[in-house]
Amino acid sequence: MGIITVLWEKWVEFRRDFYKITVSAMISPLMYLVIFGMGIQTTSHGEPYLHFLIPGIVAMATMTGSFSAICQNMSVQRLYEKALDQVMVSPTPLWQFILGQIIGGSLRGLYAGCIILFLTWPIRTDLIFNGLSLFIMFLNGTVFSTIALVLSFLAKSYSDAPRFTSFIITPMSFLCNTFFSTDQIPAGFRQLISLLPLSQTSAMIRAIANEEAPGIFGFLVLGAYLVVFGSISVIFIYKKKNL
Amino acid sequence: MIEIKNLTKRFGDFTAVDHLSLTINTGEFFGLLGPNGAGKTTTISMMSTVLLPSEGEIRIDGQLLDRKASSQKRKLSVITQEYSMRQDMTIDEVMEYQGRLYHLPQKTIAEKSDELLEFVGLKEYHRRTVRHLSGGMKRKVMICRALLIEPEILLLDEPTAGMDALSRRQMWNLLRQVNGRDMTIILTTHYIEEAQALCDRVALINRGSLQKLDTPLNLIDELGAYAVDETTEDGLKSRFFSDRDEAISYLSQAGAMASFRATTLEDVFVECAGRKIS
Repeated sequence: MGIITVLWEKWVEFRRDFYKITVSAMISPLMYLVIFGMGIQTTSHGEPYLHFLIPGIVAMATMTGSFSAICQNMSVQRLYEKALDQVMVSPTPLWQFILGQIIGGSLRGLYAGCIILFLTWPIRTDLIFNGLSLFIMFLNGTVFSTIALVLSFLAKSYSDAPRFTSFIITPMSFLCNTFFSTDQIPAGFRQLISLLPLSQTSAMIRAIANEEAPGIFGFLVLGAYLVVFGSISVIFIYKKKNL
Repeated sequence: MIEIKNLTKRFGDFTAVDHLSLTINTGEFFGLLGPNGAGKTTTISMMSTVLLPSEGEIRIDGQLLDRKASSQKRKLSVITQEYSMRQDMTIDEVMEYQGRLYHLPQKTIAEKSDELLEFVGLKEYHRRTVRHLSGGMKRKVMICRALLIEPEILLLDEPTAGMDALSRRQMWNLLRQVNGRDMTIILTTHYIEEAQALCDRVALINRGSLQKLDTPLNLIDELGAYAVDETTEDGLKSRFFSDRDEAISYLSQAGAMASFRATTLEDVFVECAGRKIS
């Protein structure tokens, strides 16, 4: 019941800000596709670079879509609007509230990813996106929604949300298998980068796009992030003394 | 019945609420008074589980209140000092969100919302977003939102702040009505006359600890039911008397710059808070 309430709230927000949400989900990925994929004509592993880039951009779009939907929103609700107080005092079980936020955030990420798929659809790339790709996009969204929840509970001021984006999302966007393969990164740093969720999501979506099976390791990494950050956010909402 | 036992809240080295113990009876209209920074809002925040206590506990009908206690929280509704609402939602959406959080059926939410918004004169603005409402209107929306769920316990933190005199009187009448339905009300306010007019009992707190707890009438009697105000070189000073004749006798000696009146709860508050501050 609580999950439906949160999803209803997310739907109200989505319906009201439909154009803003849609356009902002398009702008950055579209720029990357045009500049790196079409403007700078190059190849990767003997294939047009665009074939490498599109799965990475799709993964990145799900990450930024989910993260920004939750981090900004929850920080504002908690610190500025104090609207979280309304939820805290209500009988809605708080774990349901958290789960609703995670699902709502990942649906927003999935929407952002689907916009990129829709925009790149006219380009004949022969890349494959199927139900499993959508599931991985959704899973990636759940991971970044939980990370966003934890960070929004840690935020001390309204301006912390954009800082989290600068410190976490932007470096991950560039380093994690989006624009270039992590194989080219020096050993040690490469292993570290490959343990980040976006690297695994990009790799799995790219594998499916190229008619290969995604490795089980990627699911395990995303699952581990989801469990760890999901648990922290539940602990925070129940135990944090000064929410 | 609400039992508050040794309730303490510390923020680092600062103790906002210091071993506060109170018992509030079912159906009672209870006032929590104190100067700015006395710990009133922190106490209300702990009662609504937004803040967790550093020490002590709150029990409602014998059961511990914490963030997991859904059945206890079902009894509670709160009107916070700040406008704690989604600013980008319409009034209708705010009401629906509240109803959904308390698992009310859609029909009930729609009917009760209409009734409450009509009562406070906001019916015609039901599609307006909260951001575009005046301060007084936002306060009224918060009141409607709190009453939508027909709580057993209503926590009011400065509910009439920002309201004009007429709206404040309407609010008093509304609170008297709902209190008449056996709803327990806990009120913090800066308007002492509000507490005197509405509350069955008041607790005066200062620097987080309980100073006095009694009915407004008993507190006034304790200080002295009659007051003589004197204008001196140091400013206005009040003297309090239990005996009317004694007060009048003092007044006649005090001269032209003195006046006689009945003692109010505000005098009790000023005496209590002023003495502590000095």
